Amino acid sequence: MDRILIPDGVKRCSFPIFSLWILVLLGVIGWGVAAGAAVLIKAMNLTGLNDWFGFGAYITADLAIIALGAGAFFSGFLYYGLSKFFPALKELGKIINLAVVVGFVCYTGALAVLLLEIGQPLRGWFGYWHANVHSMLTEVIFCITCYAIVLVIEYVPLILENRKVSESKPLSLLGHSMHDVMAIFALTGTFLSFFHQGSLGGVAGVCFARPYAFREGLFIWPWTFFLFILSAISSGPAFTALICKAMETVTRKKLVDRTVYELIGKIEGGLLSFYIILKIADTANWAFNMSPRFGLKLTDYYWGPYGIWLLVAEVGICGVLPALILISPKGRKSSFLLFGAFLLDIIGVSLNRFVMTIPAIAQPVMPFDQWKIYIPSIYEVAPVLAMLAYCMLIISLSYRYMPLFPRETELNR
Amino acid sequence: MSEKGHAQSNIRLGMVIDLDKCTGCGACSTACQAENNISYRPDESQKLRSITWMNIYQLDNKKAYPDFKIAFLPRPCMHCDADHHSPCTFVCPVNATTRDENNGLVTHIYPRCIGCRYCMVACPYHARSFNWWDPTWPKQMESMLSPEVSPRMRGVVEKCTFCHHRYNKARAKASVDGTDPNKAIYTPACADACPTKAITFGNLLDEKSEVAKLSKDPRAFRILEKLKTKPKVYYLSKQDWIRNLADNSLT
Amino acid sequence: MQFAAGAVGGTLLTPLPWKLADDSAVWSQNWSWRPSPERGEITKVPSVCTLCAGGCGIQARIVNGHRAILIEGNPANPVNEGSVCALATSALQFLYAPYRVAQPLKQTKKRGDKTGFQAISWEQAQTELSKKLEEIRVEGPQSLACITSSRRSSMDDLWAQFLTAFGSPNLFKMPSQCDSSRTAAQLTTGNASPFAFDLENAGYVLSFGASLLDGCAASSRASGALRRWKKDRYPVKIVQVESRCSITASKADTFLPINPGTEAALAMGIAHLMVNGANYDAYFVKNNVFGFEDWTDANGKKRQGFKNLVASSAYSPEQVAKITGLEAAKIREVAKEFASQPKALAVWGTGRADISNNTYHELVFVALNALKGNLKPSGLIAVAPKVPLSDLLPQKDILSENASQHPRLDLAKAQSCPCPQNGLYGFLDAIASGPKYPIKLLMVHEANPAHCLPENKLFMTAAEKVATLVSFSSYMDDTALLSDYILPNHMALERFDDVIGVPGAPYGYYAVSSPILKPLLDTKHTGEVLMKLASTLGGTVASSIPWKSYEDFLKFRVEGIAKAKTGAIIDKPIDISSIKAGDPVTPNYSDGADLFKKLKAGTCWHDAPTGVTFDKTSSGKLELACQSIGKGTQATDDVIYLPHFSPLKPSGSESEWPLLLVGYSIPQVSCGYLANPPFMNKLVPDSVLMGNELFVDLNPQTAASLGITQGDLVMVKTTQGEASAKANVTPAARPGVLYIPRGMGHKAYDEYIENKGVNACNLMEVQLDPVSGMGTVWATRAQLRRV
Repeated sequence: MDRILIPDGVKRCSFPIFSLWILVLLGVIGWGVAAGAAVLIKAMNLTGLNDWFGFGAYITADLAIIALGAGAFFSGFLYYGLSKFFPALKELGKIINLAVVVGFVCYTGALAVLLLEIGQPLRGWFGYWHANVHSMLTEVIFCITCYAIVLVIEYVPLILENRKVSESKPLSLLGHSMHDVMAIFALTGTFLSFFHQGSLGGVAGVCFARPYAFREGLFIWPWTFFLFILSAISSGPAFTALICKAMETVTRKKLVDRTVYELIGKIEGGLLSFYIILKIADTANWAFNMSPRFGLKLTDYYWGPYGIWLLVAEVGICGVLPALILISPKGRKSSFLLFGAFLLDIIGVSLNRFVMTIPAIAQPVMPFDQWKIYIPSIYEVAPVLAMLAYCMLIISLSYRYMPLFPRETELNR
Repeated sequence: MSEKGHAQSNIRLGMVIDLDKCTGCGACSTACQAENNISYRPDESQKLRSITWMNIYQLDNKKAYPDFKIAFLPRPCMHCDADHHSPCTFVCPVNATTRDENNGLVTHIYPRCIGCRYCMVACPYHARSFNWWDPTWPKQMESMLSPEVSPRMRGVVEKCTFCHHRYNKARAKASVDGTDPNKAIYTPACADACPTKAITFGNLLDEKSEVAKLSKDPRAFRILEKLKTKPKVYYLSKQDWIRNLADNSLT
Repeated sequence: MQFAAGAVGGTLLTPLPWKLADDSAVWSQNWSWRPSPERGEITKVPSVCTLCAGGCGIQARIVNGHRAILIEGNPANPVNEGSVCALATSALQFLYAPYRVAQPLKQTKKRGDKTGFQAISWEQAQTELSKKLEEIRVEGPQSLACITSSRRSSMDDLWAQFLTAFGSPNLFKMPSQCDSSRTAAQLTTGNASPFAFDLENAGYVLSFGASLLDGCAASSRASGALRRWKKDRYPVKIVQVESRCSITASKADTFLPINPGTEAALAMGIAHLMVNGANYDAYFVKNNVFGFEDWTDANGKKRQGFKNLVASSAYSPEQVAKITGLEAAKIREVAKEFASQPKALAVWGTGRADISNNTYHELVFVALNALKGNLKPSGLIAVAPKVPLSDLLPQKDILSENASQHPRLDLAKAQSCPCPQNGLYGFLDAIASGPKYPIKLLMVHEANPAHCLPENKLFMTAAEKVATLVSFSSYMDDTALLSDYILPNHMALERFDDVIGVPGAPYGYYAVSSPILKPLLDTKHTGEVLMKLASTLGGTVASSIPWKSYEDFLKFRVEGIAKAKTGAIIDKPIDISSIKAGDPVTPNYSDGADLFKKLKAGTCWHDAPTGVTFDKTSSGKLELACQSIGKGTQATDDVIYLPHFSPLKPSGSESEWPLLLVGYSIPQVSCGYLANPPFMNKLVPDSVLMGNELFVDLNPQTAASLGITQGDLVMVKTTQGEASAKANVTPAARPGVLYIPRGMGHKAYDEYIENKGVNACNLMEVQLDPVSGMGTVWATRAQLRRV
């Protein structure tokens, strides 16, 4: 039925099955959109947020999804930027389109959820107009917008490669010319995204009256600025790889060469090891150098559900462990270990974003205050799930109708 | 510009609250509500969603009966005088909350606030409240809203202003009277109301003022001084257990 | 598709999206549903607050002369010295309350049915009421009764005048500690006026259960005293005696935790040590006290005196330690301090002072102060001086003729007490249990007995037996809801009223509360309604109430002060506590009209304290042996004449009801006639109320023994009733005692008030004091279980 839209030489599932899947996703999206609309109309009392938890599920999900979407810019950076010097990185070309799609959906999805997060969405644009240059959030607003635009620009040529669309001459021409300048955008995007990721880290790190989140740093940037960048690039490509693997499993096809996964594993292994060493150093400095100055000790940061397990899980199980697996060639050879490590890696970075958002503000700072627990409401969960469904929807559509994987035809011959 | 990063002025408005005199009666808080058009809802027991500018904390000494003792700590906005920025003004992306370096007041412009709540996250004193609902009043009670303070709208953050509008009025009056507006004095609604006169307000930089003298009293302390937020609200107490609750300590 | 893309691109190039974005932001800043308060000239109107008995000077900020926006303290008033309490700052929330009664209402369905109220005109209301009154007057005027909480107000005298002229003795007031204090003052000094305390000039304060800082009556004065006590140099030592670690206990320098209701035993213990150690003001006692030594009664019978009673081993520190739960050594220590401090004062109270005390216990505290010499002319205790207002004399006392056959309903019982006082409980009891004569019309004025009367079911039961219940409340409160007619009074800030004396203050005080605004609704001053009814009734009723307006009536009353030519106006800040008994106060007003004009402008009148005189007693001395208690009975036990520890046993057995329940007040909750306003709701801690669940305080030890943890849902059951609540496990509570906050659990008003928590009065047991016949409350036996 939709045959004419499907790229040449590839096999896709039947249209009714695909439609069913799309309907399921649309259902989830509809639910989330309805919840989001309710929040916009009836105000934010519908959420589980309160004066103690100014930030909650929306922000956590945004931070996590943006960190994971970083696979886009970083893979792009490696492929368009560094492969001239390290030809081995050319391999990444086989997955670069997927990385762009993942980046696009993650950023646009996050933006949509961000709209719900602010109490006065109609004034959202004040961030540009009345910008406070000292605020990390201003950096975030500027970078996220610019980078979302860049991702749109990167995503458009992919659409233009669709069989039906490229029949139109001017559009095809546009697509090709855009492809040629893609490297420039990829590098602009990389810069923006580095900055953006860093400022998200800065959001927590600059709160100098919040000992849990506060970090000293370099010039105006707290250490979390750099740690967020590092953690994002050491998990983003892994996320792309994991999605690719998931697509392979679902479609029962081979979409990229195994070498690509191993290359990503190798890169991520190195980066993650580097990151986790710094993270441990940062944690030690925070716990044993900074905190005593505020009259606090490490155990003061952990309580009840927000216990010390968070630190063990984030740094140990989801940090050191996957790093060790990924830097060892043996580990990368085993599919179980390789993809297991990818999964731990992305759980680790998501956990990091959670810790820097929720437990960081759950902790009482005044000695006579008590710990509080945050429970998101359905009005927060639904839009977040809808955002994930939206990501899946775009990826599904892109995969079905666009030539995402240059090697797909060959590998499945 | 000084090394502190802001223009020096000789006015720093601040407050001293004597906790040994405070009985927790709540008059400061209700006076504040009336003065500043603070909205209320039928259920105010969900304290984390209740808008209060002057929040009264109940402290206790954690001892067993009968050595158990309570004390009250009224908490307005601290109007932090931290170097360069207050924790909240540092993070506001839209310059809705800023510190007026002429007098040290941390102000908040409601029509500019986008409701991102970053300032609330940054404030360790929980001095800021968010309008989770459209503020509404029973129709009749709209009659008692003050024209001097604008009612807020949903989705914005609000907090104690040290009755900034009273300061503006006092300065305007001084100008009209031909006296120096920089010497204009006023008291916020809370200090006016306090039945035990536990709240003193004035210019901390005016050596002769009561508030400056009290802020240097041996009983004086501030909350969370270790964080270097430099609050302009001082507390007085002779009791060690209360003073020990002012800051975190490793012992 | 190209078209669409072009359209999007084109639109983006126009100013349209930018304009829309800007417009939407501007819209979000000016939502039409956000009220924009009317601007205009702001004026300050001084007045005097009558929301409680405290008598604070206030000033209201008014916009354009018709909109009140803020109540502040009046700095020129000596009682509150410019400050103002939480209730007064919320006063406008009563003025503008949605639950105000906008016009006269008549119940057309079953009592208590909100939907049954029908708006009627004032004319109809007054006509129907006067018709009923006329009928009653013919059938037996004693069938009219009134309950008011008005004290220290001329309304009080107007009610008395109305009922007396009408021919009914049945005027009752909502309970107050003033009544028992007055009883004690009358028994010991012959003055029918409650005791007053010079708190501000005390050098050491020993408080027996007085909730000075937990929301007592006249909280402003207590706050002013605290400010003076907590001065930097030589602060005044405060010792608080009670069972709960209250705010007052926390602010005190020493807290003496005792078993609830045993304060008087401790006072006796201290007196014991003072007497046995000869560490008391022997000179004062010898010359001015009767009944300290053994005495001889009118029949020539030799009786034991207070000295021998208190010196007996029954009040030894060891015995008292057993009763109170304190250590004997602690009792000795406090007794020594109290005896040796030159300006030590013992004060006492029943929590918020809204219930009368056990008469014998009142006498014990008087005796303790007598030992200290505090009742000397210049001492720290006086009786409140009388304000020389014009008296209201009925032209012909019909009552005296009627009274012999139809005594006040609470006194009509076969066995009555020796010193009958404000017998509200006896009255309610009598109506419920088949009275000597029926009550056909019960008028309730500025009171809400259906809610805030401890053991309020007594009122409910009595109300059912009353043919017509009329409320004069400004608000749709719990009692108004049960009424057949509501004739709404102006709200306190809309009407003339006066304040006669500050509770517990030794100086003379009088102030006129003038309206800050014209009445907002179709209401009428209850005083003027009474005047109208009186003129309709005609005859002696009309002639004894000749005034046409309440303002005229107050003018008439103020004339009395002017005639007496005493006291002076205060119109600038002064420290009234520095005026000593006997200090000259020169009148600074020319005549009655001038005085009234000044008072109307928000000033107040004061006079120097008068100290206490004993010339009205039969011995001419302070009488610790109260001979009138034994009058008419063949008393065999000498102790009945003397101050002694005499606890009333709560009903139920200890084995069945192992715990005690005590009601307590917090300053953040208004309990009494006024319901908690929304401003104050914000102050209520979440350890007192969460949602609609009230918390009951219990000690961790008690909680552990019952297997209860913080926040558990529990069932509190007392001998009087049961209620579900949540457990607040706190070391503030004494082991074995449950504490329940008062003022919650209203069944009327609006969504800001209704159904929040449990009404403590439902659970409390009232016992009748054998001397005065008034209801007292100290503890109720209770059980607690987790549900």
